[in-house]
Amino acid sequence: MIRARSIEHTWRDASAEVRCLRGLDLELEAGEFCCLRGVSGSGKTTLLLALGGMLRPSGGTVQIGSEDLYSLSSGARARARAQQVGFVFQMFHLVPYLSARDNLLAVRSDLSRQEREARADELLESVGLQHRADHRPAALSAGERQRVAVCRALFNKPTLILADEPTGNLDPDSAEVVLDLLTQYTAGGGAVLMATHSQTPESRASRTLWLRDGTLHTS
Amino acid sequence: MNLVRQIFAEATHRWVHSLLLFAALFIATALPVAFHTTGGAAKRETSRLMRDLGYNVRILPKDAELTSYWAQGFADGALPEAAVQRFTTADDLSYNHLLAMLAGRVEFRDVSVLLTGLTAEVAPQTKKKGSMIFEVEPGTVHLGHAISEGVGAGDQIELGGLQLKVAATLSEAGTIDDTRAWVHLSDAQQILGMPAVVNEIQALECYCADAGVDNLERLRAELETIVPEGQVLRMDAAAEVRERQRRLSEEYFELLLPWILAACAGVVALLTAINVRERRAEIGILRALGHGSGRIASLFLLKAACLGIDAAIAGFAAGSWLALEYGPAVFPVTAGKITVEWNLLTYAVIGLPLFAAFSALPSTLAAIMQDPAATLREEGP
Repeated sequence: MIRARSIEHTWRDASAEVRCLRGLDLELEAGEFCCLRGVSGSGKTTLLLALGGMLRPSGGTVQIGSEDLYSLSSGARARARAQQVGFVFQMFHLVPYLSARDNLLAVRSDLSRQEREARADELLESVGLQHRADHRPAALSAGERQRVAVCRALFNKPTLILADEPTGNLDPDSAEVVLDLLTQYTAGGGAVLMATHSQTPESRASRTLWLRDGTLHTS
Repeated sequence: MNLVRQIFAEATHRWVHSLLLFAALFIATALPVAFHTTGGAAKRETSRLMRDLGYNVRILPKDAELTSYWAQGFADGALPEAAVQRFTTADDLSYNHLLAMLAGRVEFRDVSVLLTGLTAEVAPQTKKKGSMIFEVEPGTVHLGHAISEGVGAGDQIELGGLQLKVAATLSEAGTIDDTRAWVHLSDAQQILGMPAVVNEIQALECYCADAGVDNLERLRAELETIVPEGQVLRMDAAAEVRERQRRLSEEYFELLLPWILAACAGVVALLTAINVRERRAEIGILRALGHGSGRIASLFLLKAACLGIDAAIAGFAAGSWLALEYGPAVFPVTAGKITVEWNLLTYAVIGLPLFAAFSALPSTLAAIMQDPAATLREEGP
C-alpha cells in the first residue's frame, strides 16, 4: 500500500545542517495501525510530511499504491494527496473562519456538490457532531475539533492517514474517541501511521516503530 | 467548497482587515473620481479666469509705428477687414477670440475720445467659444466711464457727425478703455472715413505649446502665413500668467493622482502581506487537503478583486457626491458643468479589481511559494 525506500532528508539553514532521515525504509499494509515514536526532533513530523507528499525528501522514493509521489508534477501530487492521504495534526489546523461542516467541504474532492454535502453530514453524524455542524472551530472543544479534523482526513476515504500526535492536546476521554475513529478506519481497510509520545495508542497499534538516528527500529 | 463563499467567509471573519483593504481601494476610487469629475470644471474655471484677464495678443498693420501706437492708443495704417475672417478656416492655431477693431480719435464734448469700432468676435472653427466682450449693434454706442458723465442708456448723442443711441455706460476699468466710445465697426469706418479696413485685431493666445517653446516666434510664424500684412504684439505678462496657471492646473492633477494610487497600492500590498502572514497555517493545511497554487492564489487575488468591485461602486458614488457637493463652492463660475460622469463607473468597476489584484500580487506569490511543510512542522511534536 505504501512503500518508502531509502528516505533521506537534511534540513539546512544558514548556520547548520541537520540530517534527520538517513536511508529509511518503511512499508505499511492496508488495515495496519502503526505507531511511530521517537524523541522530540527525531524527525517524526518530517517523515510524515515526506510520506504525505508535502515535503520532497533529499533522497529516496515514496510510493502510494502504484504511484511514485515525487515523480509526479506538483499538481498531480496535490491531487494524489487529496485522494489517497488524510492528515490529522496535534493542533487540529481547522480553518478558523469555516464551520465544522465547511471545514470538511474544504477538502479537494471529485464528488458532486450534493455528494460532498451528504458525505460531510454523514461523517459529522458518525462522530456525534451533527448538532455542531454550523459552529466554527472557536466554538468547539478540543475533542470536538479533533473529531472534525479526523472527519476531514476521512472525507475522501483515503488509503492512508498520517496522524501527527493527534491526541497530544486532548483529555483522555477525547483521546479515546479519536483513537476509536482511527481504529474503525483501519478496520475498514485503511492504514494509519501515527506519530506519538504517548504509550496509550500502542494498545491499538498493530506495531510500533521507533525513529532513532534517522532510521526506523522495532524497539 | 465554493471559492467565493470561502473568500466571503474569510473576509467577514477578518472584518477589520477587510475593512481596511476596502478603505484603501475606496480612496483609490473616490479621490480620482472626485478630481476627474471636478477636473473639467477646474480647467474651465482656470480658462475663464485667465480669459477675464483680457486679450493678450494684438495684430497691427505691418507698417504701424509702435511708439505712435502706444502714444495715441491706435495704430496708423490699416488691414483689410476681411483679414480676420482668414483665421476662421485655419487649423491648429495659437490664436483664438479674434476681435477686429478700427480705432481713431474723435472729439466728444470738446474732449478727445478713442472711437473704437467692433464687430463680433471670430474664432477658428475648432475653437468656437463664447465672446469675451460685449457686442455693439450698429447705430449704438457704449461709453467708457470717463466720458459718460451726464449720459445714460437710451440717450442720443452725436459722435463724429453720426447720431448714436447710448446702449450702455461702462463701469470704471482703470485703463484706456475708460476713454473709449465703442461703436459698431461699420459706424467707426463711416465716422473715420476708412471703409472696409481695421487697424487692430485683438486676440487671445491659446495655450497649446509645450514649455520651452518661444511663443512669440510661434505666433509670428503663424501670422506670416495667415495675415502677412500684419505684425504681432504679445502682452507677455498676461500671456505668461495665463500659460503658467493653465499648466499648473493640469500638472496638479497629473502629479497628484499617481501618488494617491501608489499610496493605495502600497496599503493594499501591505494588508495582503499581513493577511498572508496570518494565514500561513491555513495555506499549509489547504495544501495538505490537496489544493494547488491556483486555489491558494485565488483566495488572495479574488478577495482583493471582489473588494475592488465593491470599493469601485462605493468609491464612484462617494467621489461623484464629493464633486457635486463641494465642487460648486470651489468652482463657482463653471459649477453647472459639474455632472456625474457615468463612464468613470465602468472604468472603476473594471480597473479597480485589476488594480487591487495587481497590488496584492507580490504577497500572493509569497503565499504560493511558502513551504507548507515548514509551517506544519512548526507545530509538530
